[in-house]
Amino acid sequence: MDFTFSEDQYLFRDSVGEFLRNEVTPERIRAGWESPTGRDDALWQALTELGVTGLTVPESHGGLGMSAVDFVLLAQECGYVALPEPLVNTALVAVPVLQAVGGELAATWLPKVADGSARVVCGLANNQLAEDAHVADLLLWCEGDALFALHPGQFTARANASVDPSRRLYAIAIEPGVEPVLTGAAANAVGGLAMRRGALGAAAQCLGLAQRMIDMSVAYTSDRQQFGKPIGSFQAVKHHMANVAVRLEYAKPAVARAAYSLFTDDPGAQRHVAHAKLAACDAANLAAKHSIQVHGAMGYTWEVDLHIFMKKAWALAGTWGDSGFHKACVMDYLMYDDARLGATGTFS
Amino acid sequence: MKVLVAVKRVVDYNVKVRAKADGSDVDLNNVKMSINPFCEIAVEEAVRLKEAGTATEVIAVSIGDKACQEQIRTALALGADRGIQVETEGSVEPLVVAKLLKGVVEKEQPQLVILGKQSIDGDNNQTGQMLGALTNMPQGTFASEIAVDGDKLSVTREVDGGLQTLSLNMPAIVTSDLRLNEPRYASLPNIMKAKKKPLDVYSPADLGVEVTTHLTQVSVEPPAERQAGIKVESVDELVDKLKNEAKVI
Repeated sequence: MDFTFSEDQYLFRDSVGEFLRNEVTPERIRAGWESPTGRDDALWQALTELGVTGLTVPESHGGLGMSAVDFVLLAQECGYVALPEPLVNTALVAVPVLQAVGGELAATWLPKVADGSARVVCGLANNQLAEDAHVADLLLWCEGDALFALHPGQFTARANASVDPSRRLYAIAIEPGVEPVLTGAAANAVGGLAMRRGALGAAAQCLGLAQRMIDMSVAYTSDRQQFGKPIGSFQAVKHHMANVAVRLEYAKPAVARAAYSLFTDDPGAQRHVAHAKLAACDAANLAAKHSIQVHGAMGYTWEVDLHIFMKKAWALAGTWGDSGFHKACVMDYLMYDDARLGATGTFS
Repeated sequence: MKVLVAVKRVVDYNVKVRAKADGSDVDLNNVKMSINPFCEIAVEEAVRLKEAGTATEVIAVSIGDKACQEQIRTALALGADRGIQVETEGSVEPLVVAKLLKGVVEKEQPQLVILGKQSIDGDNNQTGQMLGALTNMPQGTFASEIAVDGDKLSVTREVDGGLQTLSLNMPAIVTSDLRLNEPRYASLPNIMKAKKKPLDVYSPADLGVEVTTHLTQVSVEPPAERQAGIKVESVDELVDKLKNEAKVI
């Protein structure tokens, strides 16, 4: 079995990565913090022209018809630049939810996602708050045993603060009389799908965030001199970053497997996603912790860009299921009598 | 109007290059390679001419081993219609490149050839001018603006004193400067489409060119590291150092 990504998948990653690294600079992110919506219409338009918003939209609706496996490398690139726009939510969560609902809702909104004429985001009441509800032309909101497709005016959104200034979080209250598009088991199934895909997107972004923090720390410690040498040459410093790099490398295959499991509807997808989210968030958290240390006191300041990335990592760790939720999922499997554990069960 | 654009595979401009330990060349192991930035500008200009309805076909040509097909595909993703690779081995010097391009020009008969003014690896800034001499076509180098008017081409050039505008009879050769345009990013659908666009491969023999070597690279060394500065105690000491050590006043 070939576990490697294809040449095309790497080509897409490099193309989108080049765009994001050139266009989504820390200066642009900071400018977004000062804007009323925190969102950049020009950037969203550019992403649309690049074809990224339509990557997972079926070809029959004007997209490229690609899968979670194709998108997961792009989500890492989104993490690398701490992209504030809800691209990962739209492409990896909202589009599959629309597809799962199907019918007129999908036929109406999927082409709009592909051509960039509408922003569709998905949120779970389990997350407490919805991201980007203020700019959404359609909010797919899973609450209890119901899935709502909410247009502006069908809900009120009360702003909440986030540790990450790039995030815009809202408590959602649905206006009376708005009917759900799905209820019962069907809604629960879609809610589960959204949770798994949201967690995968968060995990993939955490990989990119961890890599960015490693790169920033390596650059800083290669430049900063003490005792006539770069501080990165001292074991006390470089071992910190080496530990993060090792943690990150071990998290990458877990995220890739989770994407593949979702793509193939693997029965173990839920725990594979849980493993991926735990491993990736753990790597990003360690990267944040050690990056602050190797930057010295200035690593904690507002002026140094490091906090843009570490705060996003902290925020992602708590959304789409926190570590307790995902650990419980893994534990359920481990404690199951027929669990296939060890090397022989790895690929079963 | 047919437009031929030359693209070169070079080390990505973001990469900090290093010399090989034996000083024989730049170390290209595990280094990201990209399309030469000036060639990317040339492709963008050709594509804009096509989008404006001035050009009917844009052909991207590259010279090198099979790896350079990657840069041709990039040009195709940016909007070129088809590609040509002239397959060579090892490094090829500017005069040979110009001769090979002349062969392609004779085959394709373009009305306009656009090249980057130089590649960021060798920085030779020779190929466009040599191609002009070999084909006896008029050339507008270091172009910051071009405009087609019938069979005439107006080229605004960046020169030391400011801007110089030339009027050329086509077919003509243009080399692009940095400010000619800002290249677009290749969209994902266009990257997919580029895979299906035609790409012909020629050998130098097909073009009647013998690949010869006139130049020998003696050694490659990194630039000398900048020394740390010093603090002077007085203006007099500063003037003394500028006069007697730096010898700049």
